Amino acid sequence: MTNAMAAEAALAGATCAYSTLDPATAPAATSFEAVLARYQGEIYRYTIHLTRNRTDADDLYQETLLKAYRAFDRLDGAANHRAWLYRIATNTFLSDRRKRGREAGLDEATEQALTAAPDDHAAGLDARDLLREVESFVAALPVKQRVALILRKHHELGYAEIAATLKCSEAAARANVHEALRKLRQSFGDRL
Amino acid sequence: MEAIMTASDDQANQVPDLEESTAPMMVAPTGTWPDIGIIAAAHQPGIDPCDVACDAMPGHVVGDLTPPEMAWLLDHTSDCSYCANMLNGYERVDDALERLIPPASQAAPPPLPFLPSTRRASYRTIESPVGPLLVAATEAGVCEIGFARSESEAEFRGRLVARGLTPVPDLDEATVATGGQAIAQLREYFEGRRNRFDVPLDFAGVTPFTRAVLDATAEIPFGHLSTYRDIATRIGKPGATRAVGNALGRNPIPVIIPCHRVVRSGGSLGGYTGGIQIKERLLALEGAALVTA
Repeated sequence: MTNAMAAEAALAGATCAYSTLDPATAPAATSFEAVLARYQGEIYRYTIHLTRNRTDADDLYQETLLKAYRAFDRLDGAANHRAWLYRIATNTFLSDRRKRGREAGLDEATEQALTAAPDDHAAGLDARDLLREVESFVAALPVKQRVALILRKHHELGYAEIAATLKCSEAAARANVHEALRKLRQSFGDRL
Repeated sequence: MEAIMTASDDQANQVPDLEESTAPMMVAPTGTWPDIGIIAAAHQPGIDPCDVACDAMPGHVVGDLTPPEMAWLLDHTSDCSYCANMLNGYERVDDALERLIPPASQAAPPPLPFLPSTRRASYRTIESPVGPLLVAATEAGVCEIGFARSESEAEFRGRLVARGLTPVPDLDEATVATGGQAIAQLREYFEGRRNRFDVPLDFAGVTPFTRAVLDATAEIPFGHLSTYRDIATRIGKPGATRAVGNALGRNPIPVIIPCHRVVRSGGSLGGYTGGIQIKERLLALEGAALVTA
């Protein structure tokens, strides 16, 4: 069972000493506003993770919500709204990036340079600089690896959902996440 | 060791092909043993358990392993210094990734989308021993509580907007039942006449992880303390202590969801959204012993 599934299961079976939102009186899952209210915070954070800057994130977020709003009526009532929103945000991000014809963030040459940074140079960096370097490194990963890692690590999506988002097999989704972590360990495992 | 390095290098050469490939994978991906699981894989003849362990480590830090697989991996690394060092590296990377998530205080509220929003949250300010409280409710339940000493009304309204709600001053017909009940219970709590809240809460817009943390926190009884680590363990993510702290920093409904009862493992108080004095005051009001085992 994935973390995300475990979390969902935990929520479904959660016993809380406090009355929580009663499903009977909760806003119908079929209302776009209800779906938005539930997921907008995490989707916005996701757009920030992807774009790494607030202005681009605001644009991506707005574009994502507009697309979702327009498509909502055609959506199957049983759809997984959370995964659907992540998918729209991811596709919009990837398509914008293609149109611009450049990588958001660092290019491959920079990744090589970062990977090859000698250890004695690292010793002089303080922890904050090192974290910034990790952030840049993640941004410079091949885009599918980066998106898969963000979705799994920071947003706890299951591999089936990541696979649907990236239009690849579950095995490839998993391999992308693992490969990103492997590269991070190779570059930073001994330095952090 | 030679064999391990060679295997790893081979894998490194294979996987980048995934990046631009749209064809379905024809072979099991490196790093996983999806058909037989890592324990059976490690016991196959001719397979070096260290290879299996190292392959399983990325999955370990993102929660892909089953509990028996996790136990096997930890058992293996306790006997093998090479793998222990490798696992350490993955755990440090995982820790760095956790720290890349901005803390709650810096997490930006989403901009108001140019879409119609129909859900209203009305709010009222009440007096309390910890200063004025802003209490907001929807027709479904209490959704936000703010400490007016450390947060302006504009900031509080911003939190409601970030949850997809339209802020409306004072309770209206739709919210007087839920909001009114909560305010009455809060007054009883502060007067020492109530040790348990029984009001509907509205968690719309709260992420599943934060929700799990809040539900676990809600179970801590009046006057008792728990730790960030306890909560992380209780929601099945023992490594997520810092993420639990962040989630509690985003507790939309303090006092009623008693995040003030969660302290650091060493017994120090930890942080609090409304300021540490409020946390101390609430715990004193509950008569909680500020010494943990």
